[in-house]
Amino acid sequence: MDSDIILVIVVATALAFDFTNGFHDTANAVATSISTRALAPKVAVGLAAILNFAGAFISLKVAATIAGGIVMADVINETVIFAGLIGAIVWNLVTWYYGLPSSSSHALIGGVVGAAFVAAGSHAIQTSGLLEKVIVPALVAPIVAFAAAGLAILITYRMVGRLHPGVVNRGYRLGQIGSASLLALSHGTNDAQKTMGIIVLALVAHGDLSGASPEPPIWVIISAATAIALGTYSGGWRIIRTMGSRIYKMDPAQGFAAQGGGAAVLLTASHLGFPLSTTHSITGAVLGAGAAKRLSAVRWGLAGNIAIAWVLTLPAAAAVGAVTYGLSRIFGEGALGPVLIFASLLLLMAAIFGKRLRHGPAMTAAPAES
Amino acid sequence: MIGAVDSEALLELMWAAPLAALTVTVAWGLVIHGSARAVESQRDGRTVLAVLHAITAIAGAALFMAAVVFGLIVMTSKG
Repeated sequence: MDSDIILVIVVATALAFDFTNGFHDTANAVATSISTRALAPKVAVGLAAILNFAGAFISLKVAATIAGGIVMADVINETVIFAGLIGAIVWNLVTWYYGLPSSSSHALIGGVVGAAFVAAGSHAIQTSGLLEKVIVPALVAPIVAFAAAGLAILITYRMVGRLHPGVVNRGYRLGQIGSASLLALSHGTNDAQKTMGIIVLALVAHGDLSGASPEPPIWVIISAATAIALGTYSGGWRIIRTMGSRIYKMDPAQGFAAQGGGAAVLLTASHLGFPLSTTHSITGAVLGAGAAKRLSAVRWGLAGNIAIAWVLTLPAAAAVGAVTYGLSRIFGEGALGPVLIFASLLLLMAAIFGKRLRHGPAMTAAPAES
Repeated sequence: MIGAVDSEALLELMWAAPLAALTVTVAWGLVIHGSARAVESQRDGRTVLAVLHAITAIAGAALFMAAVVFGLIVMTSKG
Protein backbone atom coordinates (compact mmCIF):
# COMPACT_ATOMS: atom_id res chain seq x y z
CA MET A 1 0.00 0.00 0.00
CA ASP A 2 2.79 2.42 0.99
CA SER A 3 4.65 1.53 -2.20
CA ASP A 4 1.56 2.38 -4.29
CA ILE A 5 1.17 5.74 -2.55
CA ILE A 6 4.86 6.58 -3.08
CA LEU A 7 4.52 5.67 -6.77
CA VAL A 8 1.52 7.99 -7.17
CA ILE A 9 3.41 10.80 -5.40
CA VAL A 10 6.54 10.31 -7.54
CA VAL A 11 4.43 10.40 -10.73
CA ALA A 12 2.57 13.53 -9.55
CA THR A 13 5.85 15.21 -8.54
CA ALA A 14 7.45 14.29 -11.87
CA LEU A 15 4.52 15.88 -13.72
CA ALA A 16 4.76 18.95 -11.45
CA PHE A 17 8.47 19.19 -12.35
CA ASP A 18 7.55 18.82 -16.03
CA PHE A 19 5.09 21.70 -15.65
CA THR A 20 7.69 23.97 -13.99
CA ASN A 21 10.21 22.90 -16.64
CA GLY A 22 7.75 24.05 -19.32
CA PHE A 23 6.96 27.46 -17.88
CA HIS A 24 10.55 28.05 -16.76
CA ASP A 25 11.99 27.30 -20.20
CA THR A 26 9.31 28.98 -22.35
CA ALA A 27 11.63 31.98 -22.48
CA ASN A 28 14.30 30.03 -24.35
CA ALA A 29 12.03 29.56 -27.34
CA VAL A 30 9.93 32.71 -27.38
CA ALA A 31 11.54 35.57 -25.40
CA THR A 32 13.37 37.13 -28.34
CA SER A 33 10.39 36.65 -30.70
CA ILE A 34 8.11 38.46 -28.25
CA SER A 35 10.65 41.21 -27.59
CA THR A 36 11.10 41.98 -31.30
CA ARG A 37 7.35 41.62 -31.93
CA ALA A 38 7.90 38.77 -34.37
CA LEU A 39 5.04 37.07 -32.51
CA ALA A 40 2.36 38.37 -30.18
CA PRO A 41 2.98 37.05 -26.62
CA LYS A 42 -0.04 34.76 -26.44
CA VAL A 43 0.51 33.46 -29.97
CA ALA A 44 4.18 32.80 -29.13
CA VAL A 45 3.48 30.75 -25.99
CA GLY A 46 0.57 28.99 -27.73
CA LEU A 47 2.82 27.97 -30.62
CA ALA A 48 5.59 26.91 -28.21
CA ALA A 49 3.10 24.85 -26.17
CA ILE A 50 1.80 23.01 -29.25
CA LEU A 51 5.32 22.30 -30.52
CA ASN A 52 6.48 21.16 -27.07
CA PHE A 53 3.52 18.76 -27.01
CA ALA A 54 4.34 17.50 -30.52
CA GLY A 55 8.05 17.27 -29.71
CA ALA A 56 7.33 14.88 -26.86
CA PHE A 57 6.08 12.33 -29.40
CA ILE A 58 8.91 12.72 -31.94
CA SER A 59 11.59 10.77 -30.12
CA LEU A 60 10.59 8.22 -27.51
CA LYS A 61 14.06 6.98 -26.65
CA VAL A 62 13.49 7.60 -22.97
CA ALA A 63 16.49 7.94 -20.71
CA ALA A 64 16.51 4.81 -18.55
CA THR A 65 18.30 6.47 -15.66
CA ILE A 66 18.25 9.89 -14.08
CA ALA A 67 21.65 11.47 -13.66
CA GLY A 68 23.13 8.42 -15.41
CA GLY A 69 26.91 8.34 -15.06
CA ILE A 70 26.73 10.92 -12.26
CA VAL A 71 25.03 8.94 -9.48
CA MET A 72 25.59 5.19 -8.95
CA ALA A 73 22.57 3.44 -10.48
CA ASP A 74 22.00 1.10 -7.52
CA VAL A 75 21.50 4.06 -5.16
CA ILE A 76 18.55 5.49 -7.07
CA ASN A 77 15.20 4.48 -5.62
CA GLU A 78 11.75 6.11 -5.53
CA THR A 79 12.58 8.28 -2.49
CA VAL A 80 15.83 9.56 -4.04
CA ILE A 81 13.94 10.37 -7.26
CA PHE A 82 11.22 12.11 -5.27
CA ALA A 83 13.74 14.18 -3.27
CA GLY A 84 15.65 15.07 -6.45
CA LEU A 85 12.45 16.25 -8.11
CA ILE A 86 11.60 18.42 -5.10
CA GLY A 87 15.08 19.97 -5.25
CA ALA A 88 14.63 20.77 -8.95
CA ILE A 89 11.10 22.15 -8.54
CA VAL A 90 12.09 24.41 -5.63
CA TRP A 91 15.10 25.77 -7.56
CA ASN A 92 12.93 26.33 -10.66
CA LEU A 93 10.42 28.28 -8.54
CA VAL A 94 13.12 30.37 -6.85
CA THR A 95 14.79 31.33 -10.14
CA TRP A 96 11.42 32.02 -11.77
CA TYR A 97 10.49 34.25 -8.80
CA TYR A 98 13.61 36.34 -9.43
CA GLY A 99 13.18 36.17 -13.22
CA LEU A 100 16.48 34.36 -13.75
CA PRO A 101 16.91 31.75 -16.52
CA SER A 102 18.59 28.57 -15.25
CA SER A 103 18.87 24.97 -16.39
CA SER A 104 16.03 22.69 -15.24
CA SER A 105 18.10 19.63 -16.18
CA HIS A 106 21.02 20.73 -14.03
CA ALA A 107 18.59 21.42 -11.19
CA LEU A 108 17.21 17.88 -11.50
CA ILE A 109 20.72 16.40 -11.53
CA GLY A 110 21.62 18.53 -8.51
CA GLY A 111 18.54 17.38 -6.61
CA VAL A 112 19.27 13.71 -7.30
CA VAL A 113 22.97 14.16 -6.39
CA GLY A 114 22.03 15.74 -3.03
CA ALA A 115 19.49 13.03 -2.21
CA ALA A 116 21.88 10.24 -3.25
CA PHE A 117 24.66 11.78 -1.14
CA VAL A 118 22.49 11.64 1.98
CA ALA A 119 21.18 8.17 1.08
CA ALA A 120 24.51 6.46 0.42
CA GLY A 121 27.39 8.83 1.09
CA SER A 122 29.98 10.44 -1.16
CA HIS A 123 30.87 7.20 -2.98
CA ALA A 124 27.44 7.35 -4.66
CA ILE A 125 28.54 10.40 -6.65
CA GLN A 126 30.72 9.98 -9.73
CA THR A 127 32.63 13.26 -9.91
CA SER A 128 34.03 12.53 -13.37
CA GLY A 129 30.44 12.22 -14.67
CA LEU A 130 29.52 15.45 -12.91
CA LEU A 131 32.44 17.19 -14.60
CA GLU A 132 31.69 15.73 -18.03
CA LYS A 133 27.92 16.14 -18.08
CA VAL A 134 27.31 19.26 -16.00
CA ILE A 135 30.32 21.45 -15.26
CA VAL A 136 32.15 21.44 -18.62
CA PRO A 137 28.94 21.86 -20.69
CA ALA A 138 27.86 24.67 -18.35
CA LEU A 139 31.11 26.51 -19.12
CA VAL A 140 31.19 25.68 -22.83
CA ALA A 141 27.56 26.43 -23.78
CA PRO A 142 27.39 30.16 -23.01
CA ILE A 143 30.91 30.83 -24.37
CA VAL A 144 30.34 29.05 -27.70
CA ALA A 145 26.84 30.51 -28.12
CA PHE A 146 28.11 33.99 -27.17
CA ALA A 147 30.85 33.81 -29.82
CA ALA A 148 28.55 32.28 -32.46
CA ALA A 149 25.76 34.82 -32.03
CA GLY A 150 28.27 37.69 -31.82
CA LEU A 151 29.86 36.67 -35.12
CA ALA A 152 26.44 36.08 -36.64
CA ILE A 153 25.15 39.56 -35.83
CA LEU A 154 28.32 41.24 -37.13
CA ILE A 155 27.98 39.42 -40.47
CA THR A 156 24.23 40.09 -40.51
CA TYR A 157 24.71 43.85 -40.15
CA ARG A 158 27.34 43.78 -42.90
CA MET A 159 24.99 41.88 -45.22
CA VAL A 160 21.81 43.86 -44.70
CA GLY A 161 23.06 47.12 -43.19
CA ARG A 162 22.39 49.17 -46.33
CA LEU A 163 18.86 47.90 -46.89
CA HIS A 164 15.70 49.71 -45.82
CA PRO A 165 15.21 48.99 -42.07
CA GLY A 166 11.53 48.12 -42.58
CA VAL A 167 12.36 45.33 -45.03
CA VAL A 168 15.15 44.00 -42.79
CA ASN A 169 12.98 44.01 -39.66
CA ARG A 170 10.09 42.24 -41.41
CA GLY A 171 12.48 39.65 -42.82
CA TYR A 172 14.11 38.84 -39.50
CA ARG A 173 10.77 38.74 -37.67
CA LEU A 174 9.64 36.12 -40.20
CA GLY A 175 12.86 34.15 -39.67
CA GLN A 176 12.35 34.24 -35.92
CA ILE A 177 9.04 32.39 -36.26
CA GLY A 178 11.00 29.50 -37.81
CA SER A 179 13.82 29.54 -35.25
CA ALA A 180 11.38 29.81 -32.31
CA SER A 181 9.40 26.84 -33.65
CA LEU A 182 12.55 24.76 -34.04
CA LEU A 183 13.64 25.56 -30.48
CA ALA A 184 10.22 24.74 -29.01
CA LEU A 185 10.11 21.42 -30.87
CA SER A 186 13.65 20.61 -29.71
CA HIS A 187 12.68 21.43 -26.11
CA GLY A 188 9.74 19.04 -26.29
CA THR A 189 11.90 16.18 -27.59
CA ASN A 190 14.51 16.77 -24.87
CA ASP A 191 12.72 17.70 -21.69
CA ALA A 192 9.42 15.79 -21.89
CA GLN A 193 11.57 12.66 -22.32
CA LYS A 194 13.27 13.32 -19.00
CA THR A 195 9.93 13.23 -17.19
CA MET A 196 8.95 10.10 -19.09
CA GLY A 197 12.26 8.56 -18.00
CA ILE A 198 11.58 9.41 -14.35
CA ILE A 199 8.10 7.90 -14.43
CA VAL A 200 9.32 4.80 -16.29
CA LEU A 201 12.06 4.35 -13.69
CA ALA A 202 9.50 4.61 -10.88
CA LEU A 203 7.26 2.07 -12.65
CA VAL A 204 10.21 -0.33 -13.04
CA ALA A 205 11.14 0.08 -9.36
CA HIS A 206 7.51 -0.62 -8.45
CA GLY A 207 7.48 -3.76 -10.59
CA ASP A 208 4.91 -2.50 -13.11
CA LEU A 209 7.37 -2.55 -16.02
CA SER A 210 10.18 -4.89 -16.97
CA GLY A 211 13.61 -3.44 -16.28
CA ALA A 212 15.20 -5.05 -19.37
CA SER A 213 14.08 -2.54 -22.02
CA PRO A 214 11.22 -0.54 -20.56
CA GLU A 215 8.96 1.29 -23.01
CA PRO A 216 6.88 4.20 -21.69
CA PRO A 217 3.14 3.36 -21.59
CA ILE A 218 0.96 5.68 -23.68
CA TRP A 219 -0.50 7.37 -20.58
CA VAL A 220 3.04 8.34 -19.54
CA ILE A 221 3.79 9.88 -22.94
CA ILE A 222 0.51 11.80 -23.08
CA SER A 223 0.68 13.03 -19.48
CA ALA A 224 4.34 14.17 -19.82
CA ALA A 225 3.60 15.91 -23.12
CA THR A 226 0.51 17.56 -21.63
CA ALA A 227 2.30 18.76 -18.47
CA ILE A 228 5.17 20.38 -20.36
CA ALA A 229 2.76 21.94 -22.88
CA LEU A 230 0.53 23.35 -20.10
CA GLY A 231 3.60 24.71 -18.32
CA THR A 232 4.84 26.30 -21.53
CA TYR A 233 1.42 27.82 -22.21
CA SER A 234 1.32 29.25 -18.68
CA GLY A 235 4.37 31.24 -19.75
CA GLY A 236 7.14 32.16 -17.37
CA TRP A 237 6.68 35.83 -18.17
CA ARG A 238 9.21 37.04 -15.64
CA ILE A 239 12.02 35.07 -17.33
CA ILE A 240 10.69 35.96 -20.77
CA ARG A 241 10.98 39.63 -19.80
CA THR A 242 14.53 39.15 -18.52
CA MET A 243 15.76 37.38 -21.64
CA GLY A 244 13.72 39.40 -24.11
CA SER A 245 14.15 42.97 -22.92
CA ARG A 246 15.85 43.39 -19.56
CA ILE A 247 19.33 42.25 -20.68
CA TYR A 248 19.10 44.82 -23.52
CA LYS A 249 16.51 46.02 -26.00
CA MET A 250 17.12 43.91 -29.07
CA ASP A 251 16.24 44.55 -32.70
CA PRO A 252 14.81 41.77 -34.94
CA ALA A 253 18.22 41.01 -36.50
CA GLN A 254 19.72 40.52 -33.03
CA GLY A 255 16.73 38.42 -32.03
CA PHE A 256 17.25 36.18 -35.05
CA ALA A 257 21.03 35.94 -34.51
CA ALA A 258 20.46 34.96 -30.86
CA GLN A 259 17.68 32.48 -31.54
CA GLY A 260 18.83 31.04 -34.88
CA GLY A 261 22.46 31.00 -33.79
CA GLY A 262 21.58 29.48 -30.43
CA ALA A 263 19.47 26.77 -32.08
CA ALA A 264 22.27 25.97 -34.54
CA VAL A 265 24.77 25.65 -31.67
CA LEU A 266 22.41 23.40 -29.68
CA LEU A 267 21.58 21.07 -32.54
CA THR A 268 25.20 20.83 -33.71
CA ALA A 269 26.27 19.99 -30.16
CA SER A 270 23.52 17.37 -29.93
CA HIS A 271 24.66 15.90 -33.27
CA LEU A 272 28.26 15.65 -31.98
CA GLY A 273 27.09 13.87 -28.84
CA PHE A 274 27.93 16.84 -26.62
CA PRO A 275 24.50 18.00 -25.48
CA LEU A 276 24.38 21.51 -24.02
CA SER A 277 21.82 23.24 -21.83
CA THR A 278 19.22 25.12 -23.89
CA THR A 279 19.03 27.86 -21.26
CA HIS A 280 22.80 28.37 -21.12
CA SER A 281 23.11 28.38 -24.92
CA ILE A 282 20.26 30.78 -25.64
CA THR A 283 21.22 33.16 -22.82
CA GLY A 284 24.84 33.16 -24.06
CA ALA A 285 23.61 33.84 -27.59
CA VAL A 286 21.38 36.71 -26.42
CA LEU A 287 24.36 38.28 -24.63
CA GLY A 288 26.64 37.73 -27.66
CA ALA A 289 24.20 39.32 -30.11
CA GLY A 290 23.90 42.35 -27.81
CA ALA A 291 27.57 42.74 -26.92
CA ALA A 292 28.73 42.49 -30.54
CA LYS A 293 26.58 45.48 -31.50
CA ARG A 294 27.48 47.64 -28.50
CA LEU A 295 29.16 46.35 -25.37
CA SER A 296 27.61 48.98 -23.13
CA ALA A 297 24.07 48.13 -24.30
CA VAL A 298 24.13 44.93 -22.25
CA ARG A 299 23.17 45.13 -18.58
CA TRP A 300 26.19 43.22 -17.28
CA GLY A 301 24.97 43.38 -13.70
CA LEU A 302 21.92 41.34 -14.66
CA ALA A 303 24.11 38.99 -16.69
CA GLY A 304 26.22 38.55 -13.54
CA ASN A 305 23.13 37.65 -11.51
CA ILE A 306 22.23 35.03 -14.12
CA ALA A 307 25.76 33.59 -13.94
CA ILE A 308 25.51 33.42 -10.14
CA ALA A 309 22.20 31.55 -10.48
CA TRP A 310 23.90 29.06 -12.82
CA VAL A 311 26.75 28.50 -10.36
CA LEU A 312 24.26 28.00 -7.53
CA THR A 313 21.94 25.66 -9.46
CA LEU A 314 23.72 22.41 -8.67
CA PRO A 315 24.57 23.03 -4.98
CA ALA A 316 21.23 24.70 -4.18
CA ALA A 317 19.12 21.96 -5.79
CA ALA A 318 21.41 19.37 -4.17
CA ALA A 319 20.89 20.96 -0.75
CA VAL A 320 17.09 20.91 -1.15
CA GLY A 321 17.23 17.33 -2.45
CA ALA A 322 19.39 16.29 0.51
CA VAL A 323 17.13 17.97 3.08
CA THR A 324 14.04 16.50 1.41
CA TYR A 325 15.50 13.00 1.50
CA GLY A 326 16.53 13.43 5.14
CA LEU A 327 13.11 14.75 6.15
CA SER A 328 11.23 11.98 4.38
CA ARG A 329 13.41 9.38 6.17
CA ILE A 330 12.58 10.90 9.57
CA PHE A 331 9.10 9.45 9.06
CA GLY A 332 10.48 6.02 8.19
CA GLU A 333 10.54 4.20 4.88
CA GLY A 334 6.78 4.43 4.35
CA ALA A 335 4.69 6.95 2.44
CA LEU A 336 4.11 9.41 5.30
CA GLY A 337 7.27 11.46 4.67
CA PRO A 338 6.75 11.90 0.90
CA VAL A 339 3.02 12.65 1.50
CA LEU A 340 3.79 15.43 4.01
CA ILE A 341 6.57 16.89 1.83
CA PHE A 342 4.38 16.80 -1.29
CA ALA A 343 1.60 18.59 0.61
CA SER A 344 4.16 21.20 1.78
CA LEU A 345 5.33 21.65 -1.82
CA LEU A 346 1.75 22.35 -2.94
CA LEU A 347 1.41 24.94 -0.16
CA LEU A 348 4.75 26.52 -1.14
CA MET A 349 3.70 26.74 -4.79
CA ALA A 350 0.36 28.28 -3.82
CA ALA A 351 2.11 30.82 -1.57
CA ILE A 352 4.65 31.84 -4.25
CA PHE A 353 2.06 32.16 -7.02
CA GLY A 354 -0.31 33.95 -4.61
CA LYS A 355 2.38 36.46 -3.61
CA ARG A 356 3.20 37.12 -7.25
CA LEU A 357 -0.49 37.58 -8.10
CA ARG A 358 -0.84 40.18 -5.31
CA HIS A 359 1.84 42.25 -7.07
CA GLY A 360 -0.55 42.65 -10.00
CA PRO A 361 -1.21 40.83 -13.26
CA ALA A 362 1.98 42.06 -14.92
CA MET A 363 3.93 39.68 -12.71
CA THR A 364 2.18 36.56 -13.89
CA ALA A 365 0.43 37.46 -17.12
CA ALA A 366 1.58 38.19 -20.64
CA PRO A 367 3.06 41.64 -21.23
CA ALA A 368 0.69 44.07 -22.92
CA GLU A 369 0.63 43.69 -26.68
CA SER A 370 1.43 47.16 -27.98
CA MET B 1 39.10 13.47 -14.00
CA ILE B 2 39.75 15.74 -16.99
CA GLY B 3 40.06 12.59 -19.10
CA ALA B 4 36.34 12.02 -18.62
CA VAL B 5 35.59 14.91 -20.97
CA ASP B 6 35.42 13.97 -24.65
CA SER B 7 38.02 16.50 -25.78
CA GLU B 8 37.69 15.52 -29.45
CA ALA B 9 33.95 16.28 -29.48
CA LEU B 10 34.60 19.44 -27.48
CA LEU B 11 37.18 20.72 -29.99
CA GLU B 12 34.90 19.86 -32.90
CA LEU B 13 32.09 21.70 -31.18
CA MET B 14 34.26 24.81 -30.83
CA TRP B 15 34.44 25.31 -34.59
CA ALA B 16 31.38 23.41 -35.86
CA ALA B 17 28.80 25.17 -33.66
CA PRO B 18 29.81 28.73 -34.62
CA LEU B 19 30.04 27.59 -38.25
CA ALA B 20 26.48 26.22 -38.07
CA ALA B 21 25.25 29.46 -36.50
CA LEU B 22 26.98 31.49 -39.23
CA THR B 23 25.50 29.26 -41.95
CA VAL B 24 21.98 29.83 -40.62
CA THR B 25 22.37 33.59 -40.33
CA VAL B 26 24.14 33.99 -43.68
CA ALA B 27 21.45 31.86 -45.36
CA TRP B 28 18.63 34.00 -43.98
CA GLY B 29 20.63 37.15 -44.69
CA LEU B 30 20.86 36.07 -48.34
CA VAL B 31 17.07 35.59 -48.42
CA ILE B 32 16.46 39.11 -47.12
CA HIS B 33 19.22 40.78 -49.13
CA GLY B 34 18.39 38.94 -52.34
CA SER B 35 14.65 39.51 -52.17
CA ALA B 36 14.99 43.20 -51.23
CA ARG B 37 17.48 43.89 -54.03
CA ALA B 38 15.43 41.86 -56.52
CA VAL B 39 12.37 44.02 -55.83
CA GLU B 40 14.45 47.22 -56.16
CA SER B 41 16.07 46.06 -59.41
CA GLN B 42 12.73 45.00 -60.87
CA ARG B 43 11.30 48.42 -59.97
CA ASP B 44 14.26 50.12 -61.71
CA GLY B 45 13.74 48.03 -64.84
CA ARG B 46 16.97 46.02 -64.45
CA THR B 47 15.49 42.62 -65.09
CA VAL B 48 18.71 40.59 -65.36
CA LEU B 49 19.99 41.97 -62.05
CA ALA B 50 16.58 41.30 -60.50
CA VAL B 51 16.75 37.67 -61.60
CA LEU B 52 20.28 37.29 -60.21
CA HIS B 53 19.19 38.70 -56.85
CA ALA B 54 16.15 36.43 -56.85
CA ILE B 55 18.42 33.43 -57.47
CA THR B 56 20.56 34.51 -54.50
CA ALA B 57 17.45 34.70 -52.34
CA ILE B 58 16.31 31.25 -53.46
CA ALA B 59 19.76 29.79 -52.77
CA GLY B 60 19.67 31.32 -49.28
CA ALA B 61 16.20 29.89 -48.69
CA ALA B 62 17.37 26.44 -49.81
CA LEU B 63 20.37 26.63 -47.47
CA PHE B 64 18.13 27.73 -44.59
CA MET B 65 15.68 24.90 -45.27
CA ALA B 66 18.58 22.43 -45.36
CA ALA B 67 19.66 23.70 -41.92
CA VAL B 68 16.10 23.24 -40.60
CA VAL B 69 15.92 19.70 -42.02
CA PHE B 70 19.31 18.93 -40.44
CA GLY B 71 17.91 20.14 -37.12
CA LEU B 72 14.84 17.93 -37.46
CA ILE B 73 16.99 14.91 -38.33
CA VAL B 74 19.17 15.51 -35.25
CA MET B 75 16.02 15.74 -33.10
CA THR B 76 14.47 12.55 -34.40
CA SER B 77 17.64 10.46 -34.44
CA LYS B 78 19.11 11.19 -31.03
CA GLY B 79 19.37 8.38 -28.54
